[in-house]
Amino acid sequence: MRKVFHFINHNFLLCFGMLMLVLLLSFTFLGQYAPFINQGVEEIPFKMTDGKISVPPYEPSSEHLLGTDREGRDLLSLLAMGAKETLLIIVTITILRYLLAIPLAYLAHKNVFGANPLLKVLNGFFSYVPTIVMVILLAMLPPLLLTESRPYYLIVIIAAMEVGRAAETIKQELDECTRKEYILSGIAVGAGPVRLLKSYYLPFLYGKLLVSIISDLGKVMFLLGQLGFIGIFISQDIIQVEIGMFEIRNESISWPMLLMEATSDIRGPIWIPFWSAFAMTFTIFTFNILAQGIQNLEKKKASYLV
Amino acid sequence: MVWNLCKSLVTFILILLGFIFVLLLPREMEVEAIGFSQYEAAHPFTMDLYMDNMKAFVTYFQTEKGFGTTLAGTPILEEVQRYLGRSLKIIIPTFILVLLFGTLVGVLQFNYRSKKRGKILSFFSSILSSIPDFFLFIAIQYLLIKLIQAGLPRFHLFGSDYWYSFIIPLISLMIFPLLHMVRMTVVAMESEMSQEYVRTVLAKGLSRIQAIKHILRNCWSTIINQSQWVMLYIISSLPIIERLSNYNGAGDQLLYSILNNEDIRAFALMLPFLLIMFFIHVGANVLKFIILPKEGKQG
Repeated sequence: MRKVFHFINHNFLLCFGMLMLVLLLSFTFLGQYAPFINQGVEEIPFKMTDGKISVPPYEPSSEHLLGTDREGRDLLSLLAMGAKETLLIIVTITILRYLLAIPLAYLAHKNVFGANPLLKVLNGFFSYVPTIVMVILLAMLPPLLLTESRPYYLIVIIAAMEVGRAAETIKQELDECTRKEYILSGIAVGAGPVRLLKSYYLPFLYGKLLVSIISDLGKVMFLLGQLGFIGIFISQDIIQVEIGMFEIRNESISWPMLLMEATSDIRGPIWIPFWSAFAMTFTIFTFNILAQGIQNLEKKKASYLV
Repeated sequence: MVWNLCKSLVTFILILLGFIFVLLLPREMEVEAIGFSQYEAAHPFTMDLYMDNMKAFVTYFQTEKGFGTTLAGTPILEEVQRYLGRSLKIIIPTFILVLLFGTLVGVLQFNYRSKKRGKILSFFSSILSSIPDFFLFIAIQYLLIKLIQAGLPRFHLFGSDYWYSFIIPLISLMIFPLLHMVRMTVVAMESEMSQEYVRTVLAKGLSRIQAIKHILRNCWSTIINQSQWVMLYIISSLPIIERLSNYNGAGDQLLYSILNNEDIRAFALMLPFLLIMFFIHVGANVLKFIILPKEGKQG
């Protein structure tokens, strides 16, 4: 028992982050079974109270803890049902980003196939042009707007945008590793480049990779939130609304969707953007705290003096 | 030094060209009638169209001898000036406040890091640094609406017409880069802490404050390097915050013109932001050259 307390006391951030992660995951996967969650997320067209008809959105009350959206759907239920999709998207984007970044970093580190100049160009460009501007420009391109597989393209675009930054960090770690003696021993026993990466470089980078992957999860959530305000979502379709008029429609219930009308919601039913943004903030917060906790763990391992 | 500046200028021009190439990708929608009340939307996307777009872009500048006018007839340049003026009222104070307070709080946090208040400070800064600016903005609005309902004097939360309109956007934009700056300062100072010169300073009998001054002098390069990141962050988040607060500055207009395929206007609005980034970049290099001659020469 004492040991447990000691561990918690010394790794407060890590334990705190773990606790929040458990909360987030249980909200995501078990939330739909909770008694106060309306699984179908039904719309309420109107309500009769004391002979008066009122239309949604309804303010937070004991019936709807977080209020309802403009169609009368319970916000808490919407958030719980949309959590799975949202988390799936951010995890996919982040994993894809690192699957691209690790080989790129290794090639840049070895300075082959022009990977190093490519990395420099990417990072130079994105140190001037905000990522979000580029995502908007590319996401609104016609071939991507019209295809069925738009979600996949968008996921690739968002993942690719910050590949340069991720790869640069990994490359610096690799550059640092090279000077160590065990790499030399690897070369001496005749390990090829792939084996060198797999068994000599990566095992020493796992901790740092984990930290940057987890903190990237938060960054992706942030970007998706920002895109939500502009009305760009991962899954959307073009639908004919009036004669000759086309509009982008959304059928998904991921969190950024709820921010679509935030600019007008903020002057009226402000609880809609507030609680959806809160859910995102909670996610970002969880991943950041967790990343910091793991980082501290690494730091402690490396130092002899506490 | 001059060589470095030339290099930055060339990089800037290349980035500008890269941006134009992406901006000009064909994105017009063609709606075609295919019978009674039946329409088809098509987005033609061919190389020819792309070339046409580029030619049109170049000839536009040749014929208009500048940015020309908007559909309503006002010169684009004049319009950009108006919007940019509003946005700069947020950008510049945020930038200065972040650098100033970020460094200051960083020094304080470093000084008290082993004491209780230092630990509390660092805990709060790590919590606050996870709050996205849009949530902060909405939360402030929600709080103020509740407070006004409860009897706080009424004032205008939205728009850009009042002298105080820029304050809430400024605060929401400031928090994240500020805390990043604090963290960077602390990390930079901690890495200097074990250097021999610190021991020398203390051995000479100088005070703790003197030692911190010495350490800080060696952290300038980190702080200057971060200034570019801070500006990039401010510029990336500005459009969203402006849109939420209905501030109607250059950031929100940039989004609007990109989403409505107004290429020339989008370019005219993006250019000042790119120029700001360029000046910050050059400014950082010059500053480094002046106060850190050794590092400045190394590039």
